[in-house]
Amino acid sequence: MSALEPEVDITVTVNGEIVTARAPARLHAADFLRQRLGLTGTHIGCEQGVCGMCTVLVDGEAVKSCLMLAVQLDGRQVQTVESLAEDDRLNPLQQAFKDEHALQCGFCTPGFLMTATALARRGERLSRNEIREEIAGVLCRCTGYDNIVKAIEKHLEETADADAARVAR
Amino acid sequence: MTHILERPTGPLGGSHDDRTDAIGSNVPRKEDDRLLRGDGRFTDDVEPPHVLHMAVGRCPFPHAQILGIDTSAALEVEGVKHILIGSDVRAATEPLTVLRPVPGAPDLHYYALAQDVATYEGQPVVSVVATSRHIAEDALELIDIDYEPLPHVVDVIAALEPDAPVIHPHVLGSNLLVSNRDESGDPEARMAEADVVVAGRFRINRVTGLPMETRGIVVEWRPGARELTVHTSTQVPHLVRKQLAESLRLDEGEIRAVASDVGGGFGLKLGIYPEDVLACLHAMALRRPVKWTEDRSEHFRATTHAREAVHDFRIGATADGRMTAMTNVYATDLGGWNSSFGSAQLSSVVFNGPYKIEDGSVERRVIVTNKTPIGAYRGYGQPEVNFAYERLVDQLARRLDMDPLELRAMNMVRPTDMPWRNPSGAVYDSGDYELCLRMAGDAVGYDEHRKAVRGPRPDGRYVGIGLSSFVERTGYASSRFLARRGSQFGAHESVTLRANRSGGVDLYTGVSTMGQSSETAFAQVTSSVLGIAYDKVSVHAGDTAASPLNTGAFASRTMIAAAGALKDAATQLRDKTLRLAAWRLETEVGTLEVAGDRVQHRSDPDRYVLLSEVFSMAILGQGLPPDEEPGLEATAHFEPPDAAYSFGTAAAVVSVDPNTGDFDVERFVLVHDCGTVVNPKVVDGQVRGALVQGLGAALSEELRYDADSGQLVNGTMMDYFAPSAADVPPIELLHTEVPSPVTTFGVRGVGEVGTIPPGAAVANAICDALADFGVELSTLPITPESVWKALREQRA
Repeated sequence: MSALEPEVDITVTVNGEIVTARAPARLHAADFLRQRLGLTGTHIGCEQGVCGMCTVLVDGEAVKSCLMLAVQLDGRQVQTVESLAEDDRLNPLQQAFKDEHALQCGFCTPGFLMTATALARRGERLSRNEIREEIAGVLCRCTGYDNIVKAIEKHLEETADADAARVAR
Repeated sequence: MTHILERPTGPLGGSHDDRTDAIGSNVPRKEDDRLLRGDGRFTDDVEPPHVLHMAVGRCPFPHAQILGIDTSAALEVEGVKHILIGSDVRAATEPLTVLRPVPGAPDLHYYALAQDVATYEGQPVVSVVATSRHIAEDALELIDIDYEPLPHVVDVIAALEPDAPVIHPHVLGSNLLVSNRDESGDPEARMAEADVVVAGRFRINRVTGLPMETRGIVVEWRPGARELTVHTSTQVPHLVRKQLAESLRLDEGEIRAVASDVGGGFGLKLGIYPEDVLACLHAMALRRPVKWTEDRSEHFRATTHAREAVHDFRIGATADGRMTAMTNVYATDLGGWNSSFGSAQLSSVVFNGPYKIEDGSVERRVIVTNKTPIGAYRGYGQPEVNFAYERLVDQLARRLDMDPLELRAMNMVRPTDMPWRNPSGAVYDSGDYELCLRMAGDAVGYDEHRKAVRGPRPDGRYVGIGLSSFVERTGYASSRFLARRGSQFGAHESVTLRANRSGGVDLYTGVSTMGQSSETAFAQVTSSVLGIAYDKVSVHAGDTAASPLNTGAFASRTMIAAAGALKDAATQLRDKTLRLAAWRLETEVGTLEVAGDRVQHRSDPDRYVLLSEVFSMAILGQGLPPDEEPGLEATAHFEPPDAAYSFGTAAAVVSVDPNTGDFDVERFVLVHDCGTVVNPKVVDGQVRGALVQGLGAALSEELRYDADSGQLVNGTMMDYFAPSAADVPPIELLHTEVPSPVTTFGVRGVGEVGTIPPGAAVANAICDALADFGVELSTLPITPESVWKALREQRA
């Protein structure tokens, strides 16, 4: 252990896989995912919790991983954008983004996908204005947001319908 | 009236023979799957083995002499590998070059690290490479730099006053870098004769494009191979290669620049920055890969800013509303140095907007200040000047007691006038400006609003409608135009198409992918012309080692120029494909067509040969007709004969609380024409995204400098307010489609248009709402506070 870079051992489940690692105490979680695990789909835009590029799910909740230290992931479940595709195909949320042209440069897209994944798990339909409020923690400079809102609205409706059908059965 | 998303699909313009339904249709984007799955490859995603990390120490003062730098303590830190200071850089490099100089401007030698004097807060002074970014930043803390702060000036007007400190005294006698003037007719005589002259001073705020991905670079140097590989987040890989070669004293052939996925550019990633030269120098000294990723706090100080300008504008008119003259003198900020694209130049080109002015003059004065350098940003001067002339047109309407829409309509250039040369020499090619204006008025119920009794709504708010009409130059008016201005790039675009044995076509382009959907649009055009299935076109973008030498993605020029190159290359490929297939099928070329994955008889589709077979014939050189050479690829270059001018009108409906100045943009409509549309969804996305940037710049974004300290006071995302999803007003897009006669397929540029009209449209709406209070706004951004202050001044 270097004097400049004190390190800590952690065990974390990332996208279903148990990972044990030694992380510098001052390494934030987004850097850990990118640099130590090669999960470069999680992006970094401001490192002060404003832009939302680094949003991932920690124990099912959408969090900005630049505001967490890697050591705080110890014992937690992490889900990143790399986990979303199903059988090498886009999942319904990703497909909705593609259908609605909800991405341009794509740098913010993982942040919106993970935020929307957490939203969809609530199983609620939301109005477009409610969706706009829910996703206001992730910035996009390309799209003007409208198509992102449409894609998420479509996905929330599909998810709510599927939940209702399950309950009915 | 056609809504952009409900427009008919199918072939548009041009010869039907060259089309499948790919041009004009919403094909799925080539770029999407990788970006949706986290498989994009942005610069910071590139991680070579044994990579080292760079951190840059920056001047904390707006203007300071550097008396000494002591790096000894930093060099002792475990993990620190290399440190560069100004004298090292001066010995090893040439100054950074400028791609788009201000015409007639002297050279301000700019090295990657400050020499004796730093001229803005954030200018690089020292750089450190270490085994981790953390350690490199720790080491920066230990470097002792002895600064002598110098007098500074941050305001563009104050910078011209006689007592202002001269920022580049070795080159300039004042802070005026240069002034340029364009004129036609005799505007002063027309002003003297005019029944009415309106004049105003309009201030446009300093903003930044704020791409979500900051800049970054990863450098690998193999001295034995003389090969410098540079992964970088840029819009112009081939121009980065040129500039790096010039600064590093290398041959271009020794440099490979790669930009695969770029997380937004908007003009900020045009050409090299100091950090690019520094990372290369470190990597070459250490023979180890070096990486630098700009952090957001650096980005706010080290990546170019935009827009800041003061426009003095006059319009002369007859009593019945005919505009007879326009003059515009403006001061535009350069910042502390001349960046690759310097200060915005297009204010001059379209200063008269859509109005038919024969007697006009425009003078640009480029001013040096102690602030972060200005560079290109979406719109490049056109949003600034639009705010000035469109605000003033509304003031003229009030002076003449005329309807602002009718005043605009009667002065617009008419379709029958075009091509028409404006006072600065721009040739407006075609279009129906008045139609867009009237469509915008109809969409927001303009006539009803004008007829309604003025006064507050039941909720106490006053409602106004504001218009902003514009003409936008897209692309460049030829390489001759660029040569006269000293620009270091061409007006053309270049592309290579190469058949492969799987029956597909590989498309190689130096245009990097930054959200503009060029991979998709290029594949659409190739598919349309060649007849091959869209899915069988593989696009390889942004690598100088695997693309023809091109210009790059900026100035809304990519499609304007690339469409011609793509058409030419795809035609060459198609013609040879048909000749080989005719030989193979023992028939005449004229009886065949390329269709998806095969070449087939037009009248008997069951008689066909697969493209994979035809392409293999050419690639193997086996089974060819006796007069054919082996191989199947084509490189084409295309320069359009002139720039294409997009146009349109925005209409904003805004309600205002006259007590607090609080306002809501309740509707925002843009009617726009970008000529032939290649992909409607992509066009919609470009226009909408740019509009939101324009609304941000008009209503919430401003980089503020404190005059006393010269410091940037809001250089973080916490206090620079780019719009979030919750901040965007309802936007409706309408559309006309007049093909441009000067481009292949009739396309006009589309990437920047949305940034132009929001400021004037919203300001005009607020001033319309508050007309009874006498409010005239002349400064951006417009905030509830600024509206409240304007109300208070009128009441006082």
